[in-house]
Amino acid sequence: MTEDPSKPDFSMVMASSVHDMKNSLSMLLHSLELISDELPEEMKKSGKVATLQYEAERVNNDLIQLLGVYRLENDKLSVHIDEHYIRDFLEEQAARYEVLLNSRSISLIIECEDDLVGYFDRDMTAGIINNTLTNAARYTRDKIKLKAYHDGRHTVFEISDNGAGYPASMCNAPGQIFKGIDFESGSTSLGLYFAYQVAKLHKQGDETGSIELENGGDLGGGVFRIRLP
Amino acid sequence: MNIKETVALPKTYKKLKFLIVDDFESFRISVKQMLRSFGVEHIDVSGNGKDAVQKCTFERYDIVLCDHNMGDGQTGQQVLEELRFHKRLKRTSLFILVTAETSKEVVIGTKECQPDGYIAKPITKAVLQKRMDALILQRQALLPINKELDLENYPKAITLCTQEINKGSRYKSWCHKTLAHLYYLTGDYQHAQKLYEDILSKREIAWARLGLGKVQMAQQQYSEAIEQFKTLINNNKDYVEAYDYLSEAYEKTGKRKEAQIILKQATSISPLAVPRQQHLGELCTMNQDLEGAISAYKATVKYANHSVHDSADNYLNLGRSLSDGCEGSEPEKAKEYAEEAINTLDKATKKYNRNDVRASASLIETRVHQNQNDENAAKAAFAVAESLIDESSIDASTGIEFAKTLYRLDKTDRAERVLHSLAQRFEDDPDILSSIEELLDEPVSLRQKMKARELNKQGISYFEEGFLTKAIDTFKDALKEAPKHPALNLNLVQVVLKSFENTTPEREEVEGLNQYLNNVKHIPSQHRQYKRLTSLAKKVDSLANSLKTG
Repeated sequence: MTEDPSKPDFSMVMASSVHDMKNSLSMLLHSLELISDELPEEMKKSGKVATLQYEAERVNNDLIQLLGVYRLENDKLSVHIDEHYIRDFLEEQAARYEVLLNSRSISLIIECEDDLVGYFDRDMTAGIINNTLTNAARYTRDKIKLKAYHDGRHTVFEISDNGAGYPASMCNAPGQIFKGIDFESGSTSLGLYFAYQVAKLHKQGDETGSIELENGGDLGGGVFRIRLP
Repeated sequence: MNIKETVALPKTYKKLKFLIVDDFESFRISVKQMLRSFGVEHIDVSGNGKDAVQKCTFERYDIVLCDHNMGDGQTGQQVLEELRFHKRLKRTSLFILVTAETSKEVVIGTKECQPDGYIAKPITKAVLQKRMDALILQRQALLPINKELDLENYPKAITLCTQEINKGSRYKSWCHKTLAHLYYLTGDYQHAQKLYEDILSKREIAWARLGLGKVQMAQQQYSEAIEQFKTLINNNKDYVEAYDYLSEAYEKTGKRKEAQIILKQATSISPLAVPRQQHLGELCTMNQDLEGAISAYKATVKYANHSVHDSADNYLNLGRSLSDGCEGSEPEKAKEYAEEAINTLDKATKKYNRNDVRASASLIETRVHQNQNDENAAKAAFAVAESLIDESSIDASTGIEFAKTLYRLDKTDRAERVLHSLAQRFEDDPDILSSIEELLDEPVSLRQKMKARELNKQGISYFEEGFLTKAIDTFKDALKEAPKHPALNLNLVQVVLKSFENTTPEREEVEGLNQYLNNVKHIPSQHRQYKRLTSLAKKVDSLANSLKTG
């Protein structure tokens, strides 16, 4: 916090603006939900409401990441690692996209043991998964899979689809492309950069988390994977 | 989530009582509609924290959904703090914080009060349902244990936790955490320690590390505990509780300076917790760090507003430290402190128009005016105080305040009378006795106190190194700053007696020591230096007598 009242701290201004915007988004999304319940079937299928929801979700994700990246740069981002039931966690993320995915006839499968437990920062990890889901919803043909498992030393989250996959240049070294973010290419790199940093903030002993991109996987399209120790 | 359990949920929802707290009506309505669609029948709403706390007094809610940021009034965290403080929230109830707030201070601040869950805005129906389902299933499963916890029937709760763990429950981690804490609460430190160590052998988990440190603290293994808390902070620099306990461990081992530094760090990570700021103020005062005390008490007053920790003492403490601050500061700074002190005390008496508050405030005000050499104003303020005080029944803290002011007005005899009668009336209360002693020992300004203490320390080390003459001179210098200080006077007497061992002193030299013993005569028999005074007086006496007869 700054002592000089004439020069407000930018992060405070941003945090309070984000707070305000999220309140508005909250109302916006709820109104949308109510409206879509009242709409005739053919309008529901047109996907216009879903587009509105999709865009609102994206704004929400961008806000979270914007604030997250700002805090990262100022060394103010810290993780709060707690124990979570992963299936509950994934179902909750999937629930956010139910209407959108239905309207686009995309099926979302969750593959995860009932009582699988993981240790991670809930909000940050949710942000990453939401961002990847938003991305997958854009590029997939009709299937997305949300998968989680333990590989012995890590909790692994995997989001795969049956789209065309990531460009080869991105798959090689996901750590590298964040060096210079190219904002003209859309929000993709910002999202990946955020995911990469959040993964690194998860530590256990000498191990830190990591992210991977590849093509193929269970559904033959793009696969985004985050490993947390 | 198990399918069978999920199917039974609508029935459960039907029986639960909900409270929604949010300052936006549209938001309250929208959440209410969502809950209705889940089958909830009993839903109350509240637009602000004050009303929410009131409602919780008259009704037992099973689940409270509370917004964090509610305009100018209480925050969700303060609502939770107040409910917990007055025990208006059962363990079987769930408090869920709804927040769009992502600022670090708020997130950490709320984590400290430990709500049962968070839901981030924006809320959609599907997300709320998933989240509530999970929370309610957990609540159902743990209800028997939490019921025993509410009844403080710890042995039963321990049995139930153990059963749940043996069943291979989904919630075994919660049960481990609760079980270890129960062992700690019931004083079974061995079992608690073993549990924490077992958990830590599998994974570094913050609450287990903290628990282990707490168990070691309880067994007075302070250096081990300090290591745990340091490890915790090293792994997670925002884990504020670790700083609190580390600071406490330092305090317990007499390292008040370190304790202050660590607590200061904790307040910069999470400034909103009022008790921590209060304690920092106390530590700074003990360490005679005036600037630090002023800033901590300022924060206390600021953040306590609307909270359950708001009290007249916060204002009086700030007034006190500001009053001490204007004593001996540069004139400009002193004036600034004095004005702020008067302003603060004024607010205290306006907000808490009680006799004891007004009396204490006038006493502090008297000292402020005295420090500013405004004798008329000091007299007027003192007259107000006197009119409010009945010396024979004065409470300890006002009594000490009264004596402090009397000293400042050079009414030394009266100050000592007040303290003596207090010492008699509160002879069973060690805390009160020690503050009386402190005042009797050094009824001088803080700056003189600091100098006298420094010299006393030096005198002792000269004495220990065998430089008796140097030690005597140093103690004499110290006495110029704090002439009535018992330990100081007695130290001097002791060193002088020691220096006589190898020579035959003059009778006058020995009798001269009585002057120092007389300086200490004001201490009551409850004083911790009293025995030493009588024994040294005897020695001086018999030495003088032996010289007379010899």
